[in-house]
Amino acid sequence: MPRSRSAMRAPHLPEDILLQVFAGLEVPDLIRSGSVCTSWRAAYGTLLRLGRHKQQQTPCLLYTSKSSGERAAGLYSLADKHAYELPLPLPDDPPIRSRHLIGAAHGWLVTADERPELRLLNPVTGDQIALPPVTTMEQLTPIRGDDGAVREYRYRSRNLDWVDDDDGEDDDRTWTWIIGPRKMRNSFFRKAFLSSDPATGNFIVVLIQGPASQLSYARGGDDRWTLVPSSHYWNFEDCIFKDEELVYAVTKSGRVLAFDFSGASVKYSVVMEKVARDYITPWKMYVVEAPCGDLLLVLKDKHFHDLDFRSRKFRVEAEDVSEPGLYALEDDEDFSDPELDPLPARSFSYVFQVYRVDLAAQEFVEVKSLGKDVLFLGHNQSLCLSSQEHPQLKANHVYFTDDCEHMASRHKRRSRKMGVYDLGDDSTKVIVSPRVWSNWPAPLWITLNQRRMNSALPNAFAWV
Amino acid sequence: MASAGSGDEKAAAAAMITLISSDNEKFEVTEATATLSQTIRHMIEDGCTDGGVPLPNVTSKILARVIEYCKKHATAAAGEEGSSSSFSDAAFLEVDRAFLEELEEFDDAFLEVDRATLFDLILAANYLDIKGLLNLTCQKVADSVKGKTPEQIREMYNIVNDLTPEEEAEIRRETQWAFE
Repeated sequence: MPRSRSAMRAPHLPEDILLQVFAGLEVPDLIRSGSVCTSWRAAYGTLLRLGRHKQQQTPCLLYTSKSSGERAAGLYSLADKHAYELPLPLPDDPPIRSRHLIGAAHGWLVTADERPELRLLNPVTGDQIALPPVTTMEQLTPIRGDDGAVREYRYRSRNLDWVDDDDGEDDDRTWTWIIGPRKMRNSFFRKAFLSSDPATGNFIVVLIQGPASQLSYARGGDDRWTLVPSSHYWNFEDCIFKDEELVYAVTKSGRVLAFDFSGASVKYSVVMEKVARDYITPWKMYVVEAPCGDLLLVLKDKHFHDLDFRSRKFRVEAEDVSEPGLYALEDDEDFSDPELDPLPARSFSYVFQVYRVDLAAQEFVEVKSLGKDVLFLGHNQSLCLSSQEHPQLKANHVYFTDDCEHMASRHKRRSRKMGVYDLGDDSTKVIVSPRVWSNWPAPLWITLNQRRMNSALPNAFAWV
Repeated sequence: MASAGSGDEKAAAAAMITLISSDNEKFEVTEATATLSQTIRHMIEDGCTDGGVPLPNVTSKILARVIEYCKKHATAAAGEEGSSSSFSDAAFLEVDRAFLEELEEFDDAFLEVDRATLFDLILAANYLDIKGLLNLTCQKVADSVKGKTPEQIREMYNIVNDLTPEEEAEIRRETQWAFE
């Protein structure tokens, strides 16, 4: 029934008010609000131009699925509990579904494709930034075929000393492996971290790479990767940017180090002399900064339902790595149909333990409850948010995705163990049901970011 | 209605300010209540409130609501100053918390207004520069658009869609995913 709108009051909000309203919105709400009328449209444009949109968005689960096809990603928003389908045509580049997702921060994914080439990709804007070629990593030498194309890479470990080895002999042991490109994509890159929004061009990307899980980094504009010199510390597990030039990193054995990127060369120091737990190696560890500024260390363990604690301990140790990289370098596996899940996984669940890293007192203090805080763990840059600012999130819970290296390389078809873990009662609930994602590339958490790259930036680094 | 604020026994000795709405209704309020508005605070500081403060942009209906908000929050501000300058023991914290909860309840009830009134309150809060009220009302609008389609938002606020078909097509081309 047609209504006479002119007869009713159509209140008009000035732009500065609309900016204030829009500044608190999640990306999908903002986009829809920006198409209500011309004045709301104009405010939307101004908001993005001024960069005043909500910086700390509520995380979304990003995944791919067979039904959406090769060139699309699914987004499950925890804020409005709605699944969106994001087209990612990227016409001249490998489709998202062929890329291993090794990191997510500031709204950008870090992806590795089959060649393998590393790219930053903002799934909302479609912007991409090429990272330096992997051949610039000093441990890697390309092996070319007759046609000049790279067939394999020779990896030779560098700067690896054994810790706790005081036999007086030459510590400089090296390993050499030959790795095919696809295998590199699947298992060479463990995790990537970003200092800040790459759209500005001014950022640092830190990469845990190689069989020895060493740190390499590149700044926006660099044409090569630089190995972070950390002597006999390697086997890194997770990193967090405390600020744009200070990184805290944890090794698999639980050692916490700080890396200072402010100078021309990177300086490091061991910031905790002891480890949080030495009697049993955690399955995974994460470093994360709480909203109050505290540094947290999170331990993730596998709890097998068919084993008692003693045998569980044995099991976890048996699956731990005694020599770097060997487990990740098995024969490449065909994954023509990642939807298949034919392998019955042993029944287990993940359990989490949180410690506050008290650098001044040199203590790990177990945190029984996160209070209002919420953790996001997985291949994303570890995130701790407050449920007060994100009321849709469950306080004192861990939202986790599967970041197991075995799953990424050898067991692509196995279903992913992910969920929402209650630190209060150790129970885990599903994120969303029914499951909508493919097992590979593994889903991960991302906070959306609409900021486009500044095309006026000098062409200092390769635009894809 | 016109004597809003006259029942404030504690501030009997305090200076009273007269606010005049666009439809010429007069409201007497204490200075503490009035100065939640930065606009009025500046006028008081400049000594130009004799004979009343004309507010040609605010109707009596909206001004009454704004004053209601300011009175409640002025009391809250006074209470906070009182407790922080004296004691901070558990009993006082308990009182504070109860009061904050009461204030939150007041805010929630205060926002139970129709959409047109909400917009008018925003405009008044903006004109009078009352930060707390502006934040509160803007947040209410932000919450109200969450999960809504553009058409639902237009319906809600009686907004006419004046985008051209070309503009709409462009929006859809760029961000279609958010509409499905």
